[in-house]
Amino acid sequence: MKRLLLVLLLVTAACAPVPSSAPDITVGSVGAPVPGDAAEVSAPPSSGAAVPACDATASLRPDGALPTPGAMPTGSTMERIAARGRLIAGVDQNTYLMGFRNPGTGAIEGFDVDMAREIAKALFGDPNRIQFKVLTSEQRIPALEQGEVDVVVRTMTINCERAQKVAFSSVYYQAGQRVLASRGSGITGPDSLGGRKVCATKGSSSLANVANIAAKPVVVSVANWTDCLVMLQQGQVDAVSTDDTILAGLAAQDPYTEMVGPQFTQEPYGMGIPKANEDFVRFVNGVLERIRDDGTWSTIHQRWLGVLDRNATPPAAKYRD
Amino acid sequence: MTAVVTAPTSQRVTGLVKSTPGRLSLIALLLVAVTLLAGVLTGWGVQTRSAALEELATRSEPLSFAAQEVYRAMADADATASAAFLSGGVESPELRSRYEADIAKAAAALSTATGEISRSPEVGAALSTLSGRLPVYTGLVETARTHNRQGNPVGAAYLREASSLMRAQLLPAAQDLYRAETANVVRDQDSAGGGPWTELLLGVVALAALGLAQRYVTRRTNRVFNIGLLVATGLVLVSLLWVSVASVVVASTVHDSRKNGSTQVDVLARARIATLTARGDETLTLVARGSGAAYEKRYGEVVKDLGDLLTRAGSLSTEPEVHSAVDSATKNFQAWQEAHQRIRQADDSGDYTTALAAAIGADQGGAAAAFDNLDRDLVTAITHARTAFTGSVATARGALTGTVAVVALLALGAATASVMGVWQRLKEYR
Repeated sequence: MKRLLLVLLLVTAACAPVPSSAPDITVGSVGAPVPGDAAEVSAPPSSGAAVPACDATASLRPDGALPTPGAMPTGSTMERIAARGRLIAGVDQNTYLMGFRNPGTGAIEGFDVDMAREIAKALFGDPNRIQFKVLTSEQRIPALEQGEVDVVVRTMTINCERAQKVAFSSVYYQAGQRVLASRGSGITGPDSLGGRKVCATKGSSSLANVANIAAKPVVVSVANWTDCLVMLQQGQVDAVSTDDTILAGLAAQDPYTEMVGPQFTQEPYGMGIPKANEDFVRFVNGVLERIRDDGTWSTIHQRWLGVLDRNATPPAAKYRD
Repeated sequence: MTAVVTAPTSQRVTGLVKSTPGRLSLIALLLVAVTLLAGVLTGWGVQTRSAALEELATRSEPLSFAAQEVYRAMADADATASAAFLSGGVESPELRSRYEADIAKAAAALSTATGEISRSPEVGAALSTLSGRLPVYTGLVETARTHNRQGNPVGAAYLREASSLMRAQLLPAAQDLYRAETANVVRDQDSAGGGPWTELLLGVVALAALGLAQRYVTRRTNRVFNIGLLVATGLVLVSLLWVSVASVVVASTVHDSRKNGSTQVDVLARARIATLTARGDETLTLVARGSGAAYEKRYGEVVKDLGDLLTRAGSLSTEPEVHSAVDSATKNFQAWQEAHQRIRQADDSGDYTTALAAAIGADQGGAAAAFDNLDRDLVTAITHARTAFTGSVATARGALTGTVAVVALLALGAATASVMGVWQRLKEYR
């Protein structure tokens, strides 16, 4: 009897459940790294609905012939800049082809940068008498309002909302917004962006345009256009949408991306100038007149934006007086 | 049958306690118990102290140094990567190998810290962030490098992403790790360097017990001295003195290890980290090319801290080597500040090339040279302060060598002597 009990006890002991799960390896968050200022935009930025319609691209007419370099009219903004010894230009260093830092030399180059150098050349007779101040899209208008820069040449679209705060030169380039996506992503243009994540920089007109697309994409904002390419390459956004000039620069750095769809907006670029400096607006327009006519514009365009259009002609200037 | 036995036994016990020989036997038993118990507890106290010292020398301090190294190496890697980018073109072999050495060091220090994770589970989250994110960071830096070599400006964006990962996740985790490991050093110092109060109390109790026994024996037997009990008292006294002296030596050397070692190492390590942060901000201000006001602002804050830390390190320093290293660090710090003024002046007046040359140029008197010299001085100071620390801890451990064995032997001896002393008297009742 005792022996039987013992056997029973042993059998039950052998069958008793013993926890035997193999321990798993736990991992913390595996989220991909993101550019510093990246954020999803929930509310579209002010779309300028409250701004009355205007003819923003009409600028101020040049004041006769350009003064000789080094001999600026007394009391003018140009004389003040000449006295300083250099032009302070707000540019970009992150937009390939337009305004970017050449990784090989560390120099800032591009279409916009060459345009700014033309202004310095007209002021001083030397295109190198120029100090670059790098600005993000968002910093452009504050920098002009606070007088930190003489001029902003940074893929800046002329529109009525901005024209209330700063003055613009005549149009020096006519761009249009398009969409950049990975090859084979199935994205064919703005209409196929519904529910997809689309990247644009904070404070740019492109961001407002993306937010206003009827198909309702999810807008992701970053500080610089190259941050958008990083996020596209890391699979964190599905597309980038902005002006074809900027997209061409991004596509040139990644053969697995392509521009798709039509231009769905018109983006006339102007040079931003502090609102009070009307004499300088007229001066800059005079410089633009000259480079349109003497072929300088075409040479610069050919050098940087030849990929977009080999035989582009400069947009005609429009003046309000 | 059992009932018959019980009554006489209890009577016998009462009789035993009432009779002098019975009392003497009981006293002998009590003395054995008291001396042995005091010995065991004292030995255990000494053992705890010695274990805390061993922990301090072999784990806490090396781990806190490893944590500091993780932070420093990663901060340096980030500053170096930015400087390499700033120099334009293909980065110099010096900067590249410095970056590689930093990453290797960070990984090695991290694996040291991770090896001891079971000891401080509170740093688990920080360690998993560090070991999970460091490879991601290096991946981003390599991507940036590849793009730079192909002339794609997107490389700069990858570098910014890497840097923001470093500053937002990796460095804060390293900071948590360093705080936890430094707290462990302080904890072990506290537990090794406390006063020997329990040991003193136990010794006094044992001495009192022996004294009372001596008095009883003297009264009952009319003999003034009992050799056995005297010997036992002597042995307990020796044990008490030994433990007290050893503990006082330990407490004072642990105090030295704080004063000449860990406190200074902590201030110096924080100064070194501030140096790296400031250098990173100086570089990033130039990378931002005119829109780096936020970096310059933080540079100002960090440099102010750095100045305070150097002043503190100077007033704390006790060793002449540390003192002269901190003096030299202060001079290099001033040279760096002057170079920084020149950089800002040149950059703010539009002379970017001059600013760049002053910031990353190899000439003496430039910011790069002053920064390197400052960092080297701090390393020298840290090394000396660490040596002082390990020296003190080694002295403390030496003071306790064999103490447990001595305490045990003396306790055994005291117990035996008490029994023999009482036995001498007991024999006279036979």
